[in-house]
Order: sequence, then structure tokens, then C-alpha cells
Amino acid sequence: MAILYKNLKFKILSLGPLILLYFLSITEIDTHFSNYFEILSFNLQLIIVYYWVMKDPSILGNGHIFFAGIVNDVIMGLPLGLSALGYLVTALVAMYIRSVTVKITFFTDWFTFILAIFFSQLVNLVLISNFSDLNISYAIIFYNSLFTFIFYPLFWFLFGPYLTIISRLKND
Amino acid sequence: MSASRDDFGIAIRSALLKKGARQKFSLFFLIVISFLIFFLDSIKFKAIDTTRSFLRDGIYRFSSIVSSPIHFVKYSGGKIKTHFSIYDENKTLKEELSRLKNKEFDSQFLSSENRNLQKFIETDAEIVEETVLAKVLLDKDSPFLKSVIINKGKNSQIKKGMPVVDGNYLVGKTVEVNYLSSRVLLLNDLNSRIPVTLEPDAAQAILVGNAKRSPVLEYLPEFFEVEEGKTVFTSGKDGIFPAGIPIGKIFLEEKIAKVKLFSDPNQLSFLNIVLTNTDEVENF
Repeated sequence: MAILYKNLKFKILSLGPLILLYFLSITEIDTHFSNYFEILSFNLQLIIVYYWVMKDPSILGNGHIFFAGIVNDVIMGLPLGLSALGYLVTALVAMYIRSVTVKITFFTDWFTFILAIFFSQLVNLVLISNFSDLNISYAIIFYNSLFTFIFYPLFWFLFGPYLTIISRLKND
Repeated sequence: MSASRDDFGIAIRSALLKKGARQKFSLFFLIVISFLIFFLDSIKFKAIDTTRSFLRDGIYRFSSIVSSPIHFVKYSGGKIKTHFSIYDENKTLKEELSRLKNKEFDSQFLSSENRNLQKFIETDAEIVEETVLAKVLLDKDSPFLKSVIINKGKNSQIKKGMPVVDGNYLVGKTVEVNYLSSRVLLLNDLNSRIPVTLEPDAAQAILVGNAKRSPVLEYLPEFFEVEEGKTVFTSGKDGIFPAGIPIGKIFLEEKIAKVKLFSDPNQLSFLNIVLTNTDEVENF
């Protein structure tokens, strides 16, 4: 009974990051605070994808990352596949860093996140400017990327205890 | 050197193709699928358009249901805020009422003068357009697009390019029309371009969205002196938007003429879609 309860608890808790990713993609909640400070906006989905793929790729399935991206594109009115590509590129960088790094520290995590942001935004910009009619502001994309990078440590420390709980339940 | 290149290759190959114990798809497979979907989405093909339209309708409705607790929290917050500011609001409204009463006499005089002049130049006294009332289903901000989703679509005779108003004020135009829902591109979006006329001498300009709160006036006449506080209206020069829909007031910021919109794009809940003839836009 105790084992069953522990397994159930682990399954529910391990769904947390995935639920958060879908929730951010499908609901009206956004991380754009231009009403308060004109340039303040960041991409929380990228932070979630990078953090959890880096720490434990089994928490967010690749298929779920892709599907959350597609849903996000529909809601945002972007060409289908654009956000999905951005998230998958982020996951790819995280997987690569994970496989080449022996000991992951907070700083290696944070600074390698620049690579993930750079490549995901690059893919988005190349596709939008070459294959879409959308006009984009490079300044807005830059500020969004900058604040995504700046806010990463905050979420790193927020997700840390949650990851510890999941890892403890997994290993017990 | 070649050893490090080998390591890079192995790591990338592993990241792209390796599937974990609980993974059903490799990253490589999903990236290829994403590219495929992206290029299929840009094809204008009836079967794809219909599928896309139904997919969007479904996701918008589901999203609206999932977002309803958020709507409730926002609504409750707004109610509480209104409750606390009711005294100040009452005072402001009383002052406004007395000011408007004074203005009413001027307005009656100007209306009768306007009617007489219109009779004189033999134009239609007023253009009455049919409108459809719609509720805002989703209002999600993004760095790429400033838009809202409304709960009316092709089933309510809405077409692409129709003007959308909040009360009497223009807020944008429809850019995506599904069977049960539509997307309205707001005036402050980077992709928005509206031909406008400025009072008092009917100078023509284009209102260009800049992804900020107040869109910019461009293509103003040469040596035009911008007067702050003057009202901007639609000019109707595009043949789609009816002329004379109020948009906002002009103000100067760092010598750039901007328009403070009458209707706040972040506070939209019910909108009217003006059913104009947009066949030219549809065919375009």
C-alpha cells in the first residue's frame, strides 16, 4: 500500500512541469509585462524545457514538448510548427550539454542556456523572415531573450526543491 | 582536433537520435515533423485551410474553458478595484456631465449645420453599417503578434479584413476567420497599417502599429505641423473601412507623432465587427 502510494505521488509530482508547460501554452496566462514596463517580457516555456530536459529528460517527453509548441502556435496566431521548433531546438541543446558535461553546476547551466536561447530564436527568426508575412521587431525579440536569460536563475532555484522531491521519490 | 570533432558528432547524434526509456519519439524525428508542418501551413490549399480552421476552433474553445478561472480572477479583481474607486469615479462623472451639458448646445448647432451642408453638397447624411457583437475569448500577449480571439466567425458572416470596434472606437481588423472564431489584429501590432485622416484639416496619414501601447502616424503631408490633442479617424481610403471611425488623440513623443488610442487594447471584452464588403481583401 505504501509503495503504491509512493508511486502514485511520484507520478503526480512528475507531471507537474508538463502540466505547467501545457498550461502556459494553452491558457491566457503570458509572461509579457509590457503594461508595467514596456520591454519586460520573457519566455517561461523555454526555461521549463531547458531546465527539465537538462535535469531529467524523462519528465518532459519530446512528444509533449512538440505538442505544447503546436498548441502555443495556434493560440498565438503564429505559423504552425514555429514554437515547436524553438522548444525542440532548446531541448536538443540541453540534451547535448547534458551528454558532454560531467558535472553540471548552476553557472554551466545558466551560461549554456545562452546557446539554447540563441539557436531557438535564430531558427524562429530565419523562418519568420524568409517564409512568413509577419513583421517582427528585432529589439523586442532581443529583450525577450535577454529577460529569459536573466530570469533563468530565479526559476532554477524555484524548480530545485521540486526536482529534489521527485528525485528522492524516484530513487526510494 | 579530429578527436574533439568526433566527440561533438557523437554527442549531437546521441542528443538527436537517442530515445530515453519513457520517450516515444526522437528529437530528430520531431524537428523534421515541425519543419514539415511549418511548410504545409504556408500552403494555401482548401483541404488544409478547412482542417486548420477546425483545429483552431477546437483549440480556442478548449483554451477559453481552461482560461475561465483566470478570467474569473481578473473579473473579480476588476470588480473590487471598481468598488474602491466608486467615490472618485462619481465625482469625475458629475464634472463630466456638467461639461457635456454645456457642449450639447454646441453639438446640436453643429449637427444641424452639418446636415444642411451635406444636403447642399448632395452626399449621404450617414452611412449605417451592420455590425456583429462578439465576445473576446482569448487575449494573450506575445512578442510576435498583438491580437485577440473572438467567438464569432464565418457562421456570422465575418470575413477577413473587416474593421472591429469597441463601442464607437476602432480597435483593429479581422486577420484570421475560422467557422466559429476569428482573430482580430490590434492597431498597435507591428503588422497593422490603417489609412487615417486627422482633424481639423483632413490631412491623410497611415497609422502604423509599433508593438507598443501607442501606434505611430507615418506618411504625413510634407511640412505638416502636428497638433497635440487632435482626433484621428479612419479615412476610408482603402475602400474597406468606413470613413470617420474615431481612433484616438494625437500626442508627440520625442518629436514622433503618436496616437493615444481611445480604446485600451488590453481591456477588451466585447467587440463589434463591422460587416463591410471585403471581397477585394479576400481575393488579394
